[in-house]
Amino acid sequence: MTETTTTEPWLDSNQKPYIQIENVTKKFGDFTAIDNLSLDIYKNEFFSLLGPSGCGKTTLLRMLAGFERFTEGRVLVDGEDITEIPPHLRPINMMFQSYALFPHMTVEKNIAFGLKQDKMPENLINQRVEEMLELVELTDFAKRKPSQLSGGQSQRVALARSLAKQPKLLLLDEPLGALDKRLREQTQFELMDIQEKLEVTFVIVTHDQEEAMTVSSRIGVMDSGKLIQVATPTQIYEAPINREVADFIGDVNIFKGVYKGQDEKGTQLLSEDSKSIIYATQKVDVPVGNRIWFALRPEKLEITKKLPEVDCNILKGKIEDIGYGGSFSTYHVKLENGRQLTAIRANRERTAEHHLTWGDEVYLHWAPHSAVVLLS
Amino acid sequence: MKKFGNFNIVALVVGFSFLYIPIILLILFSFNESRLVTVWGGFSTKWYVELMQNQGIKDAAWVTIKVAFISSTVATALGTIAGLVMTRFGNFRGRTLFSGMIYAPMVMPEVIIGLSILLMFVTLAIDRGMLTVTLAHITFSMCYVAVIIQSRMSSYDDSITEAALDLGCTPFHTFRLITLPIIMPAVVSGWLLSFTLSLDDLVIASFASGPGATTLPMKIYSMVRLGVTPEINAVSTILVGLVTLGVITASIIGRRQKNTN
Repeated sequence: MTETTTTEPWLDSNQKPYIQIENVTKKFGDFTAIDNLSLDIYKNEFFSLLGPSGCGKTTLLRMLAGFERFTEGRVLVDGEDITEIPPHLRPINMMFQSYALFPHMTVEKNIAFGLKQDKMPENLINQRVEEMLELVELTDFAKRKPSQLSGGQSQRVALARSLAKQPKLLLLDEPLGALDKRLREQTQFELMDIQEKLEVTFVIVTHDQEEAMTVSSRIGVMDSGKLIQVATPTQIYEAPINREVADFIGDVNIFKGVYKGQDEKGTQLLSEDSKSIIYATQKVDVPVGNRIWFALRPEKLEITKKLPEVDCNILKGKIEDIGYGGSFSTYHVKLENGRQLTAIRANRERTAEHHLTWGDEVYLHWAPHSAVVLLS
Repeated sequence: MKKFGNFNIVALVVGFSFLYIPIILLILFSFNESRLVTVWGGFSTKWYVELMQNQGIKDAAWVTIKVAFISSTVATALGTIAGLVMTRFGNFRGRTLFSGMIYAPMVMPEVIIGLSILLMFVTLAIDRGMLTVTLAHITFSMCYVAVIIQSRMSSYDDSITEAALDLGCTPFHTFRLITLPIIMPAVVSGWLLSFTLSLDDLVIASFASGPGATTLPMKIYSMVRLGVTPEINAVSTILVGLVTLGVITASIIGRRQKNTN
């Protein structure tokens, strides 16, 4: 995987990383929340920390904000070591998951709070507050108290408040977690627009992989206090580094088996499911006989009733379940050995003309270049 | 259902009568024309007028109010700090012991508290008077404030404090500008509670007080020993009124606070 990541522009050696997290460890008693983690984030990036709950992503964010002390390691922001700087002196602001608006202050006072702490002149504060209110489209709500706002409005006040001081780095802890699906999707795009407009570096923590894929320039997938893979959303999805990442990001069909060597069609895997050889174009460098895996996204599995006219990667099965999702349908296909695979097909025709139904005998096949070879 | 309803009503009436008939009688007889406490002689407010001319009672009332004011103010400050510390520090070793020690004065027999305070003052050779009563009242009312603050803080979102720090506010200013205003209703109701506690305390005051500092409850108690007079009823009625006012205000503030959350 290293060959592909070096071609990314932000790993251009002329570019200096803006946030440098160096060998950071955080222990709570015997429990290691962050385990010797290093990460470089570049200016104006929209970086997502993605992982299951308890993976340490929020701890890492709170360490950047200054709320958790470092057990080991250090963090540089724009070349300055901030490890020992208390939270109120860091050039970093955070947007909290609970929004943490000050309930006894109006919206404009909330936004002005950070600026007042900096002893900014009154007229400049008012000007900035107005800009911020315009940015999040809440000008009419300036005099309201937080208790009089909806969830979406509170979320925007929290965003405006954390951006008002023009931080070098904005940390967002599950910023859209409390919003309903529709509002969340809309807000994702707003967030991206604001980030582009203000040119602030964003680090966002989320457990929602779709959200991470939509908004991020790069994603860091975390588990058990470690970064498993740091890459662009496309790479994370199309070229996961191992089964864990493949499984965590989106749906995936994993074929387990034994490496049988290479031929003109690609890497050969003796599948445990079909007892036959299946192919992936991607080459591997392991001894023949090693255990390897193929990962295949459901939308890359073709599902047909007729025997497809290809020379490899054909599996036979029976449709067990159909999930109709409007724009696409999900098919659960049971292979002869009882293994169930998932295939997704876009519904280009009207459903009435669809000819696949429960219990149909079908063929699944895929192009060898669609499968990813995983070594662990 | 109807039968059950009747039973409830009866239970309610009996229960409340049990609680309030003595107090209602006391209030009623404070407006009695007759000097005899148990014989109704018509409505009159003359005992209240007489009360105003009784220098002894007025002195005692003044002492009581001063003691209550100072002790509740100090107790609120200390209790607030204790309550905050208990919630802030999370689960440290010995937490249960500490919180138990804060609650202990609430269940400890007053006689024991009074006695131990008396012994301490004697040992330290502090002359008993206003100062000692005030100190004693601070000691026992502090824990009530601590409990109120602690229960308020249990529903307080810590990220609000963190947000203030994050926006460049120093820890001290964060307390002054953010935490304190938010928990202010709890602080006020804590103050009112300790004020009323101090106002009607007899046992501890009797132990801790000296010749110069007779509180109103002590004065009433000593007057009753010479026989109950309508004057005592009148002063007690005023006390009941004050305490009721305090408790009602405290609960209104408490409810308003709940609504804003």
